[in-house]
Amino acid sequence: MSGVNLSGIVKAYGALQVVHGIDLTVEEKEFVVLVGPSGCGKSTTLRMIAGLEEITAGDLTIDGRRMNRVAPKDRDVAMVFQNYALYPHLNVAENMAFGLRIRKTPKDEIKTTIADVANVLGLTEYLDRRPADLSGGQRQRVAMGRAIVRHPKVFLFDEPLSNLDAKLRTQMRAEIKRLHNRLGVTSVYVTHDQVEAMTLADRIVVMNNGSIEQVGTPMELFNNPANTFVASFLGSPPMNQMKGTLTENGAKVGGVEFKVNGAVNGNAGRDVIVGIRPEHVTLKPSHETSALPIGLDLVEPLGSEALLHARHGDNSLVFKADTEGDIDHLSGVKEVHVPAHVVKLFDAETGRALNLEV
Amino acid sequence: MAEEFSTALQEPLKGTSSRSEEGRMTRLIDHFKREWQIYAMLLPTIIWFIVFLYKPMYGLQIAFKDYSIFRGVAGSPWIGLEHFNTLFSNDQFIRAVWNTIQISALNLLFGFPAPIILALMFNEVLHASFKRTSQTIVYLPHFISSVIISGIVITAFSPSAGIVNTVIGWLGFEPVYFLTQPEWFRPIFVGTGIWQEAGFGSIVFLAAIAGVNPSLYESAVVDGANRWQMMWKITVPSILPTILIMLIIRIGNIMEVSFELVILLYQPSTYETADVVNTWIYRQGLQSGQYDLAAAAGLFNALVAFVLVMTANTLSRRFSRTSLW
Repeated sequence: MSGVNLSGIVKAYGALQVVHGIDLTVEEKEFVVLVGPSGCGKSTTLRMIAGLEEITAGDLTIDGRRMNRVAPKDRDVAMVFQNYALYPHLNVAENMAFGLRIRKTPKDEIKTTIADVANVLGLTEYLDRRPADLSGGQRQRVAMGRAIVRHPKVFLFDEPLSNLDAKLRTQMRAEIKRLHNRLGVTSVYVTHDQVEAMTLADRIVVMNNGSIEQVGTPMELFNNPANTFVASFLGSPPMNQMKGTLTENGAKVGGVEFKVNGAVNGNAGRDVIVGIRPEHVTLKPSHETSALPIGLDLVEPLGSEALLHARHGDNSLVFKADTEGDIDHLSGVKEVHVPAHVVKLFDAETGRALNLEV
Repeated sequence: MAEEFSTALQEPLKGTSSRSEEGRMTRLIDHFKREWQIYAMLLPTIIWFIVFLYKPMYGLQIAFKDYSIFRGVAGSPWIGLEHFNTLFSNDQFIRAVWNTIQISALNLLFGFPAPIILALMFNEVLHASFKRTSQTIVYLPHFISSVIISGIVITAFSPSAGIVNTVIGWLGFEPVYFLTQPEWFRPIFVGTGIWQEAGFGSIVFLAAIAGVNPSLYESAVVDGANRWQMMWKITVPSILPTILIMLIIRIGNIMEVSFELVILLYQPSTYETADVVNTWIYRQGLQSGQYDLAAAAGLFNALVAFVLVMTANTLSRRFSRTSLW
């Protein structure tokens, strides 16, 4: 089983601890994305798995074997770097063959493997070119090709798409996903882009300040964030958060009382943060919704949808609304309607999600 | 009709061209006014070039004249290529040319790779303070004057008290008069040059190594490369453009063997292998007063260097995409 297991992994540089005891299991063939803001420790964690950073404490196992003291070359992992790390003096074929040559793979086998992988990645006609003569997307494919030819047990991706423009990133994202479905190799992928995380991952690991905030499938994390950090990190635009108080009937923000799913059961008066995803509101009222009066600042059309930038009291809010082909009708919006089941509640002190009894 | 049509077509083009010329000139003047401080900073360098490199070129004409200091450069009569005929029929000059080429070839063979090897070795040293100390030690000889360097070499190879002959004595051999024997001049000269300059020369290559993308090494580590493989397969190819540029510059200076060091180390008994073009020019020009003949030899030197640097640059551009210009 080519899974990766991190148990109590710590990384410290002298007295400065940057990763604080991470526990994570990546199952065989699973695609796990580590996501978080800059400096949260996600790349350091990936580099510890690769063997490029020493593990200060804890245990790392790959395929059931403890890897803490094993050299990177003996871990049977392949890594795709942010800046591609292609050797500028070698052509595409030589770049892809580098690892195989180092491992003294027979020449015929190298040739066949490279031809196969180049075919899969659409690089056959570029095999004689040097990296300087390739576009960003082609370079990225070569970097992936170099990893694939080695048939490793684990692929490690360190923000591989961050140097590409938005259009190419979307295209390459889909290619990575297709490739993973085809090869089925256990993959750990680091990114700070939550869209990449949501679209690629079987499971997402949200990291912050060297610790894991939440692990789960993209939809689990989107629908049930464990805390305000995850709620604000995943989703674009992020979840609206307003300070409020629990009441017998729901949660009150200013003069507005939101209906919520579940029973408050004696928690009335508790300070909470009320979270509402921008896309979860409607412009039409129903008996299950609560009306939230807003002062509209700005309407940003995105095509089929528009972003409504608004204020409610001291809170700056963003909502998504269908344009229905026109945004004129949105400029007069004075309130949005929030269904009870989309209202998320978090403890005001700890920021943790509150699960009210249903 | 066709002529009229053609003229009509050309007129606006001419106008456009002259307008664009004017526009370019205006832009240049505007740029000069706006950025005059930068041009002012450039001025000392331009003055230095004019005074020390371009103005002396006026004097090169004496290579084709029967020069007399009383008649001056302009007043001396032209004699064509007579000095060049004299040069190429002079055995001592021919010998000096061959000595220059042989010493330069040895320098190129041993002296050129030395700083590269040193830089590669420094790059592999992991202990920071050891690295700093050893770098300082190898840089030091560069800052010592050639006179002192030659003094150290003469003392070290002295037949009576020199360290080299002392060791030879310990081994039971007779002392060797190194600096009076022609066969020893070149190895000693080239060795001294390496000792003096290899450390300082390694700075350029260390800077080039520092510019190599660290993720290339990380990628190679994951791929299974050891340090030796990384040095040969990543570091050396990555600094190859720098190596080639330095090689082209070196080839351009092939006729410029370190003049001071030769003057300080050679003696009549070693002229056979030690006398180079520059020392020959010095003896003929300054000591014997044949300035015109010396100028012809200097011009020949410069022409050879020019051809060599052009050839090296063209070859480098063709085969490695790296060139000085």
